[in-house]
Order: sequence, then structure tokens, then C-alpha cells
Amino acid sequence: MIKVANEELSLSEVSQSEWHEISRLDGPQKECRRLLDLGFTPGERVAVARSTPLGDPLVVVVRGAQLALRKREASWIRVQ
Amino acid sequence: MKRPAEVAETAGDLAKPLTVCLVGMPNSGKTTLMNALTDGNFQTANYPGVTVSLLRGTTRSEFGLPITLVDLPGVHSPVDPSPEEELSCQVIESRHSSVKADAFALVVDATQLERHLKFAGYVARQGKPLVLVVTMMDLLPRVGATLDIEKLSRALGLPVIAVDARTGAGISGLVSAMRAGTGSESNALENMGVDPVAAYSRVRDLLDNSGAVVRSTDSVEGDSLTARIDRIALHRILGFPMFFAVLIGIFASIFWMAQPFMDAIDSLFAAAGDVFVALFPASVLTRFVAEGLIGGVGAVAVFFPQIVILFFLMTLLEDSGYLARGATLVDRPLSYLGLHGRSFVPMLSGFACAIPAVFASRSIPTLRERLLTIWILPLMSCSARLPVYALLLAALLPGVAWTAGLSLAAIYLASLLIGSAIAGIVGRLVYRDRALSILAMELPVYRVPRWKIILKITWSRSSTYLRKAGGPIVVIAMVLWLLSNFGLGSQQPSLVAAVDQPLIVQAEMDFSLAAQLGQRMEPVLEPMGVDWRVGVGLISAFAAREVFVSAMAIVFHVEGGEDTQAAGLLEAMRTATFRDSDQLVFTPSSMIGLIVFFFFSLQCVATVAVVRKETNSWRFALLQLAFYTVLGYVSAVAVVQALRWVGVA
Repeated sequence: MIKVANEELSLSEVSQSEWHEISRLDGPQKECRRLLDLGFTPGERVAVARSTPLGDPLVVVVRGAQLALRKREASWIRVQ
Repeated sequence: MKRPAEVAETAGDLAKPLTVCLVGMPNSGKTTLMNALTDGNFQTANYPGVTVSLLRGTTRSEFGLPITLVDLPGVHSPVDPSPEEELSCQVIESRHSSVKADAFALVVDATQLERHLKFAGYVARQGKPLVLVVTMMDLLPRVGATLDIEKLSRALGLPVIAVDARTGAGISGLVSAMRAGTGSESNALENMGVDPVAAYSRVRDLLDNSGAVVRSTDSVEGDSLTARIDRIALHRILGFPMFFAVLIGIFASIFWMAQPFMDAIDSLFAAAGDVFVALFPASVLTRFVAEGLIGGVGAVAVFFPQIVILFFLMTLLEDSGYLARGATLVDRPLSYLGLHGRSFVPMLSGFACAIPAVFASRSIPTLRERLLTIWILPLMSCSARLPVYALLLAALLPGVAWTAGLSLAAIYLASLLIGSAIAGIVGRLVYRDRALSILAMELPVYRVPRWKIILKITWSRSSTYLRKAGGPIVVIAMVLWLLSNFGLGSQQPSLVAAVDQPLIVQAEMDFSLAAQLGQRMEPVLEPMGVDWRVGVGLISAFAAREVFVSAMAIVFHVEGGEDTQAAGLLEAMRTATFRDSDQLVFTPSSMIGLIVFFFFSLQCVATVAVVRKETNSWRFALLQLAFYTVLGYVSAVAVVQALRWVGVA
């Protein structure tokens, strides 16, 4: 598969242990505000450190913190 | 900017000590710092309004004039706050009615500087004197970074103190800094703005320009020790077996480790009662103190070892960092039911006692999931039900220990499954909008447990149990004693012929108010297949479920010590018949019905009282009581009638 540059994915779809840059948040307003406060701001880099036995939540790294995010929450975070 | 001492003076009271509030994000190490500043001399303090416990203490005497310290709950974000966060925000924004801060000690984690400094901007905006406290410096090498405190302080224009709460380094410097207040006229954090994107980029600029932070690694994994443990703790195959092993370990400790202590406390209070009776003249007052009061206090104390062990293990898991991983593992099934990953902690605690479980539900960050968790806690089979089940199973399945054991295991499993089902159903009925609140739970790095702090918090939580649950249990035990030892004068066979019948008189159990109540209940008890004597047992069980056993012994006139009493009670139950008939009371169907009733019903006044306090709602507590009492009764009647219909006696 040819990877197109600047292809937008959601954080719930990306492969593990790779840095990605957040392009925007696309989800319910109140929840996205919470994610912004936690450090998921556009331009910042994030990575999925690992999955969990049931595949949900995901362990996500942002600004030096490890956070457990439900897949639904991760899907609001669009990355390049 | 004013110095905190001046602020205290303008507040009007010179003698009033300076009040410094510790604020910060969750896991920033505030409580550890609190412990180091006060040398463990702090208490849990509750304030009116929401039941959120704060820690309050004073600085150690060696640091000069005492400073009052208040450890505020950690805040992720002032937007859409949980009850705990709301309380902290009220204090930070000077909106709280009773907690007034003269200055803030802003606690930030050295490994999480960006996120914590962004939060610091919110506190700095309020214009109060501020000291920045940097913790977790010892973890920096583990994440491959260094931090220059001098440069950070210059860049921020704030006093910055690095502390190591374990060695005490930096603590006295922090106390002086608290007294001195902010160093410069303005600091770099206060104009950061509210918009998170702008605030984060400002923090990034500040840190980049200061050169205070140097990173030597770019790996996703971060701390290598944490990564190594998580590779197992969250492993696709090993994760759950490890989690269940931890749960089984906690279970085993609660039941087996606590047992000798519980037996000792039980005999201690029995002996104390006997000594009291022997020392004082035989009178109704002596009996009231010995049986009602000492017995009531004993009913509280007997569960104390279990509660201490439970709180200790929970605090240990929390402090080491594993609790958040456990919550992550089970979040998916629990969130499907409308609960939160962290709901597993109160649910597990509920198998010891619903009361500490209600306290433990405070760790669930969102109100909705917290209330739903509290709603299903009475179903978790608490240890007070054990003596009841043991009695009924021994009567139902005489002589076969392993079937009784198996039935007990089935009861435990069923309580978990039915609890889950009720959460799912109630959650869907009450919360129509299925949008769940978000998880976004921080996974702190694994740490070696800090024993001193764990013990301190364990004690603080356990004594909260004694204070909050102790009162209601003792009062109810005394009321029930009065009900079963006094009766209406007109109902006493010895007084039937008397001209001047007193209204209330000391009475045998059979003619007591409790018996009267039981007899009035007979129409309701009849479909359950039991008589008024069991009704008396059910009423008494509201003090604490295990009281059912001793109440049954009284009402069936069983004498003797504990061992002979159990055998005597079983014998009495085997032959008990309904009044004026030879029909047996304890048939297989009626005993299974009783087990079903105890399985569902919320027979514990102390739980109702604690739920009322925690939710700040009589409506919630009484609705819960009514829901489970009706559910228990209807299920018991349905089971008894169905069993009879298929031919079980």
C-alpha cells in the first residue's frame, strides 16, 4: 500500500509505538475541550504506546504522560 | 503582589495562622508532600456541601510558627469538573465559604512539567501568592530528562522549590518560601490565558527559552521500568490472569487474614459484656448496657480488621500504580454497563462491606458513574451476609460441607452477575443519553510503595469508617434491643388480670414489641413461607445482617454458648412449626426464599446512612432502600411459590 503524505487518520487507527502529529480534534465539544486540557492540542505529537487485552482502551502518550483513552475518545483525535 | 503574611493581617485576625493550600493535578505527589510537611500530623476534614474529604494539618514545630495546610483534591481541568475538582476550583477561585487560602503551594510533577504548568496558569491567574513545588525529581533519570530548578524559577518569575518528600530535602526551604510569598511583582504564568491551545504553546515557549529541561530520549515508552511492568500487566494473554490473581489475593486477605482478629474482637466484647453483668447489680439497665450498648459497639468493631486490611491493600495498589492498570483492563466491560473502569474498586470492597465501598466510589471521577456504582453496591455479597448464609445453608444441606461451599461460591458469582445486569438496566433507564463521560485516565509510573504514607492513609480511611458507620450501627442495635426487651403492658400474659396495666413494660421476647411487629407482618411473611419469628429476625437484621443469627437464637429460645447455640438453633429450626399447626417453617423452599431475600435486600441501616451522606440525597438513599427491599421480597416470594408449584416443599 502506498502511504499518502498528510493522510489524515484517527488515533484509534494508527499503528503502535510511532509518533504522529495531531491535526485537529473532531468530536463532541465538551469532551474535546477536556482532551485539549489534557494536552492533546493540534500540532502536538502523540503515540499509541500499547493496546490492552480487550483492545480497548488504548494507552496513549502525550506530553510525557501515559493516559488510558477509550477507542471512542481516541477516534476524535485526528492525526497526520 | 502582597505577601501572604499581609493578606492574613488584612483578613483581620493577627493570631490566625497562615493557611496554605496544596493544589495540583492528580498524581502530583501532594499527599506525600503533606505528610512530609506535617510529619504525618494531618486529619481528614469534611466540609458542608459535597462530601469530599480534604486533608488538613499544620507544619512541623521545628519550622517555626505553624502554618495551616490544606491538601485539595487534584484537578485535571476546571472545565466540567467532578465533585472533588469542583471543591478545589471553589477554593482556588476564592468562592468557597469556609476554606480560605492565603497562599497556594502549587505542586508539579517534574516528569509532567508541561501539563502541570498549564494547570499552574489557572491558579496563577487568581492573583494569590504562589510557590511552585517540584516533586518526583528522582524519577527524571528514569524518563531520560534533567531539570534545572534555578533556570525554571528565573523563567517563571516564581519561587520554585524542589522537594524530595522521602528524604525531606527541600522541605524547610519550602516552608520559608511559603512564609515569604511570591518573590517578584509578576510571574510568567498569570497571563497565560484560558484557551488551552494558546496556554500550552506559551508553556512550551517558556520552557524552551529557559533551557531548564533537557531530554536525552525520544522513545514512546518513556520510563523503562513502567514499560517493562506494563508489558506484563497489560499483556494480551497474561494481563487478566495477573489481575485476577491480585483480586484473589485481596479476597483471601480480607477473609482469612482478618478472621483471627475478628474472632478475638468478638470474644473480647462478649467477655466485656459478661464482666459488666457480673460487676453491676442485675437490672434492666445493666442488661441494656451489656447487651445493647456493648453488643452494638462490638457489632461495629468486629468488621474493623477486614476494613483496615481492605483499605491497606487498596491504598497499596493505588500508591504502586497498579490500580489504574486494573481499572484500564476492566473499563471496557464496565463502561458497557454504564460504569467506570475504576468502579471495580468499590465493587470489590463491597464484598467486605458496602460502607467502605461507598467511600471508595469517590475515586470515580464522574458523578453519573459514581452514583450508578453506589446503586449496585448493596448487591455485592458483603461479609455480614456470611453468617446468615452459613446458617441457612447448614440447615438446608445438613452434613455436606462441600455442597454448602459450592452454593456459597455460586451466591458470590451470582451477586456479581446480577449486580452487573442491574447496573446495565438501571443505567439505560435512568440515563437515556448513552453518551458516556470520557475515561482519559492517567497511568502513573510504577513506584516502590511508600509504606509510611500508605499506613497513614489506611488509618485515616479506617477511622472514617468508625466515625461514619459506627454511630448508626450502635444506635440501631440499641433501639432493636429495646424493641425486643420491652412490650405493651396490655399484651403481657402476666398482666392480663391486672387492673392498672402500664403502657410499656419489660417483656420476654415472645411478648415484646419486636414480636408484635413480627406478628403484624405475618400476612406479608406468609407468601415467603415463614412465620413471625423469622420476621423478628428480619427486622433485627437491619442493624447488621449477621444479627439475624443471634436474633433467631433468642426468638427460638436457644440457650448456651456460641458452639452449642449454633447446633441448638439448627435443631430448633428443624422442628419449628407454624402456630396451631404441625406444618414446618423451615422447608427447602422457605430457606431458599430466605437466601434469595438476603441476596437482594438492603438490610443495613448504616449503609443507608452513609449513602445519604455521600450522595447528599435522602431521595437517592431511600429509593435505593425501597428498590432492594421490594426486589428482595418479590424475588423471594416468586422463588418460594415457584418451588412449591414444582413440588418442592
